[in-house]
Amino acid sequence: MNKKVTQIAGRNLSLSNLEKVLYPSTGFTKAHILEYYRLVSPYILPHLRGRALTLKRYPDGVAEAYFFEKRCPAHRPSWVATAEIARDNGEQMTVCLVNDLDTLMWVENLASLELHVPLARADAPENPDAVVFDLDPGNGAGILDCMRVALILRDLLAGLKLTCFPKTSGMKGLHVLAPLNQKKMTFDDTKKFSKSVAQVLERNYPDLVTSKMAKEQRVKKVFINWSQNDSSKTMVCVYSLRAGERPTVSFPLTWKELEHLESNGNPDKIQVEQSEAVSRLKKSGDLFGEMLVMKQRLPYI
Amino acid sequence: MAMQSIWSGTISFSLVAIPVQLVRAVEPGRVSFRLLHTKDYSPLSRRMFCPREEKMVEPEDIIRGYEIGPDKYITVTDEELESVSPERSRTIEIVEFVDLKDIDSIYYDHPYYLVPSKGGEKAYQLLAEVMRRTNKAGLAKFVMGEREYLVAIKNIEGALSLITLHYSEEILPDDDILPGASPIETLETARMKKIIKEMTADFNPAEYANERRKSILTLLKKKAKKQPPVTPPDIEDDEEGPVDLVAALEASMRKVKKNR
Repeated sequence: MNKKVTQIAGRNLSLSNLEKVLYPSTGFTKAHILEYYRLVSPYILPHLRGRALTLKRYPDGVAEAYFFEKRCPAHRPSWVATAEIARDNGEQMTVCLVNDLDTLMWVENLASLELHVPLARADAPENPDAVVFDLDPGNGAGILDCMRVALILRDLLAGLKLTCFPKTSGMKGLHVLAPLNQKKMTFDDTKKFSKSVAQVLERNYPDLVTSKMAKEQRVKKVFINWSQNDSSKTMVCVYSLRAGERPTVSFPLTWKELEHLESNGNPDKIQVEQSEAVSRLKKSGDLFGEMLVMKQRLPYI
Repeated sequence: MAMQSIWSGTISFSLVAIPVQLVRAVEPGRVSFRLLHTKDYSPLSRRMFCPREEKMVEPEDIIRGYEIGPDKYITVTDEELESVSPERSRTIEIVEFVDLKDIDSIYYDHPYYLVPSKGGEKAYQLLAEVMRRTNKAGLAKFVMGEREYLVAIKNIEGALSLITLHYSEEILPDDDILPGASPIETLETARMKKIIKEMTADFNPAEYANERRKSILTLLKKKAKKQPPVTPPDIEDDEEGPVDLVAALEASMRKVKKNR
């Protein structure tokens, strides 16, 4: 096994299998993945900080079996920050908090290509910081349809004086999030709100939108998955890699960019891959920065 | 600070006060399962059942009863129980130091680590080192999670650990397990000594693994590879949202449509 001990902030971290190709179609290796996350760490860490990480590990690359790990592995180094989370059955579970670069590197050394986190922080697990609209295209629909729905959604929420921000999922869909950052907000509130929004959109655009989970209801439509607003659910973190064929990233877009792409009917250009993600971040900074600070209230809840 | 602390406060005795945090020292390796309904894999929950009425009983209709005889109970409310709970303590007050070897391992219940808090590092190291040299343990009482514990504080590889101890009344008598005294023959003693000597090794717990846990995890991994996980259906209901919200959304929707 190829092992390398590296020092980050005085801590020893042993990295293994650095030359292993994890994205066979592009030759992207474990070393590339570590380097990607190191470069984006100033931008991704604020979004991971204090949240219970779900690891999605691809030990043999994106084409092979993966597994989810909600518990923080017991073999973790002593300096990895953790939190105790109560599961639905009342049992306690220790989870990892990715609060610093060292932990991020350790997690990536475990080949956790995708980083999934809840909408709430571990110290207030029932209070989401944001409401999310997870736009998921059904069979026969595509990301262009998601873009149309996202733009309607933006205007609909603007009418309620709510600002929201879009990002690609890095796979087939789009995520639109409205920051709340209100202590008293609960998942009951955000779920009720997002479901009402989904139903109103469904009623007004019945050929484009559905609020129903059932597969047969989703054909040629965009499913607004409001049920993601739940303490037990996680979302892929902004700037996380995705384990698709190519190393795409869940990346934020400006509304202008989205309008442009939609009117040009150019859906393929929407995907941002790792190298573009790094250069865009260097140029424009964290487009999702407002998600961490903007305070908004959900009306009529 | 990597580990989540369970409690923080000070160790004190005489004029010494050391700020510390208590963290877990062991994580049981038990693999836990949820129970699911075979029909649609919905997770099941436990509810209380009254066999006499053959129906479920709501939490507000449940009270604790202490059984003093067949069908005879003394009931106790949450408030009554709380009124006799000890106050949460902020200090671990060491009342005496004893020889470590005098505490039989049968008294050991659950181990924790003590981590020095800011400003306490020096005194912490000193206490750990002196305990190591003198082979002493500090005995203390302290309250955590509504229970009062008798604890031993001892050195472990230069750090301090806290072990909750069983109270002596919890230890069952061993009177009946000893066979009647019979003379031990010298030859037999020598033979036994020889066997033990031949089998003597360094204590190396890493050589032993929890085989059952290992095989369950292997099974789970194998199954996860072969078949996708099952998920319960999401509850689909067409219930409308709050009236005012829906009205506001519809109003906004009309404007959006007009401008498009």
